[in-house]
Amino acid sequence: MNISQFLTIFISAVFIYNVILSRFLGLCSFVAISKETKPALAMSLAVMFVTTMSSILTWLIYRFLLIPFHLEYLSTISFILVIATFVQLVEMVIRKFAPPLYRFFGIYLPLITVNCAVLGVAVLNIDMFFVKGKAIAGSFYYSVFQGICVGLGYTLAMLLMSGIRERLELCNIPKALKDFPLAFIIASIMSLAFMGFNGFKF
Amino acid sequence: MDKNNLLIVSTSPHLHKKDSVSKIMWMVVLALIPAGVGGVIIFGTSALRIILLSVVSALAAEALVQIFLKKKISIFNGSACLTGILLAYNLPANVPFWIPIVGVFFSIIIGKQVFGGLGQNIFNPALVGRVFLMASWPKYMTSFVKPFNVDGVTSATPLMLLKEGLSADKIPYLDLFLGKRGGCIGEVCIIGLLVGAVFLLAKGYISWHIPFIYIATVGIFGFIFGPSGFFTGDWIFQILTGGLVLGAFFMATDYVTSPLTRKGQIIFALGCGLVTVAIRFWGGYPEGVSYAILMMNAATPLIDRFTRNRIYGTGLRKS
Amino acid sequence: MIKEFLKGLVKENPTFVLVLGLCPTLAVSVSVSNGIGMGVAATFVLLGSNTIISLIKNIIPDKIRIPCYIVVIATFVTIAEMMMKAYAPLLDRALGIYVPLIVVNCIVLGRAEAFACKNSVGKSFFDALGMGIGFTLALVLISSLREYLGTGKILGFTLAKGFEPAFIFGMPSGALLVIGLLLGFFNLLKNRES
Repeated sequence: MNISQFLTIFISAVFIYNVILSRFLGLCSFVAISKETKPALAMSLAVMFVTTMSSILTWLIYRFLLIPFHLEYLSTISFILVIATFVQLVEMVIRKFAPPLYRFFGIYLPLITVNCAVLGVAVLNIDMFFVKGKAIAGSFYYSVFQGICVGLGYTLAMLLMSGIRERLELCNIPKALKDFPLAFIIASIMSLAFMGFNGFKF
Repeated sequence: MDKNNLLIVSTSPHLHKKDSVSKIMWMVVLALIPAGVGGVIIFGTSALRIILLSVVSALAAEALVQIFLKKKISIFNGSACLTGILLAYNLPANVPFWIPIVGVFFSIIIGKQVFGGLGQNIFNPALVGRVFLMASWPKYMTSFVKPFNVDGVTSATPLMLLKEGLSADKIPYLDLFLGKRGGCIGEVCIIGLLVGAVFLLAKGYISWHIPFIYIATVGIFGFIFGPSGFFTGDWIFQILTGGLVLGAFFMATDYVTSPLTRKGQIIFALGCGLVTVAIRFWGGYPEGVSYAILMMNAATPLIDRFTRNRIYGTGLRKS
Repeated sequence: MIKEFLKGLVKENPTFVLVLGLCPTLAVSVSVSNGIGMGVAATFVLLGSNTIISLIKNIIPDKIRIPCYIVVIATFVTIAEMMMKAYAPLLDRALGIYVPLIVVNCIVLGRAEAFACKNSVGKSFFDALGMGIGFTLALVLISSLREYLGTGKILGFTLAKGFEPAFIFGMPSGALLVIGLLLGFFNLLKNRES
């Protein structure tokens, strides 16, 4: 376990292979909630919390349940069940202890379950930090850290997009392109820009 | 003037009447001419053909869109012409004729008009067109000709050589300065670019902060993270090659797509510099200026939001 | 019932109006054959999950409804995956991880949450059918454009092309562009109507 690996994970997950702009996971919420900065930030923090916790839980399940019983092929289903249950739990807790926040998130809280980014990072952790069915040294810490960094990358993309869309509120965009069409076009240009990081190697 | 505006202090640049915006555009066009002349001398008439195609198509594209959207036709305010020139300057001299046409249409329509037109785009339109072309037809966008050559012999740019690990230091600095190297039409003739830049700076149309900080960042970090170990980088090489001088003086300084406040501009320039160096040294592409500027364009609304000056006359709430 | 079917095609098209299911759309719409394959698979899963969830909607406790839906959806996805591996292995390989990712396709969970748990079995069935076909049509439209502009061919047949294919359309950036412009085009038509 070495420091440079953590640095690599951070820079990769946040900038170079940004979960939204390079891996194209989590787009539904990206296009739908990035219209204003405050909801975008709230959603990003929620997603970051879920990606971190799900990295922990899915790692434990893979390492102590699936590998010993040779059930690796069930990873997708078991991961998504874990994520769904966890999001439901989060929903219940928020509903009980912070009702205004619960109302604020609305339908998008349960939709974090199907946020491709969350399942994506779980699968990515397994791909990257398990070799031939065995966990590499420091695998758990790398996985959790990657969960956090993917959340940070998601936040970066959301903040950039919401900043842009807020500014565009003041511009006279052609009527047919307002809201979603322009959001997609902006995402297209942003992804073109982030292609500059292709082939990155330290 | 509205009485309520009397106490609001805004930061530079102060753009007042529409025709002064137009004048600035044409001044930038003027400033870019020396570099273009240099490019045509170095790469021949094909370069001239591309520049002209690009400019004419830009005007046509803008006119078409404005007709379609039932807006006033304003193609003579210099903005479309500037986009056309800048895109042409970012192309190799031997691209097929349709590349600048398609590219500039993309620049004008997707890079500018979908946002609402002049003053409202987030990204630099010429660069949007360039990265579009790069992603779509990489074969044409990365084949460069040797300078001063009639036979179309291809050559690699100095940064391409560096990326492959071949030594590029056989090219004398003077050659780099004058433009005797492979590269895009408007980026190679550094002396021509600097003449134009000095003109714009002297007249106050651009300020020195963004270009200076951008170039300095590339130079400093280029020196620190040199290819053969720390503190061995050839910073002069880094500054004189690629599209840095063109980008720093003529594209990163675009008012519309860069931050409003001085503090914001510094952050913007630093960001551009860091990303450029990162891509040049560790990325897959040999040059990163276009991508760096576009990424920082994306961050500009956010930078503006967080470096807003306090409006005098409104107090901080005392609880 | 016909109304429920028709709405998924145009008025509430899952891709262009509800803006759901983007991740697979971007990834899979590179070629028309992939688009059709994914559309059919997703429609199958939608039909199964909507019907079953509507059948058992009164038995599922509200507090754990999402995981329950996921179990139902995952079951159908596994069935679809196994059938694909058996009868269309080339397609299965082409679609790759996006077959199991149908489990997290926003459209499937979205319809379960927004419709199947509140409506009768018959209506849910037709809702699923409409949504699935609407999704497939959207995929076909997007992938035809992307495949033609990006490679000059559709379904592997080279159509007349007087242009050099633009690789950007094989990339997600091109996909986002195509979707954005199509959305804008449909909005334009809608505005002209009203």
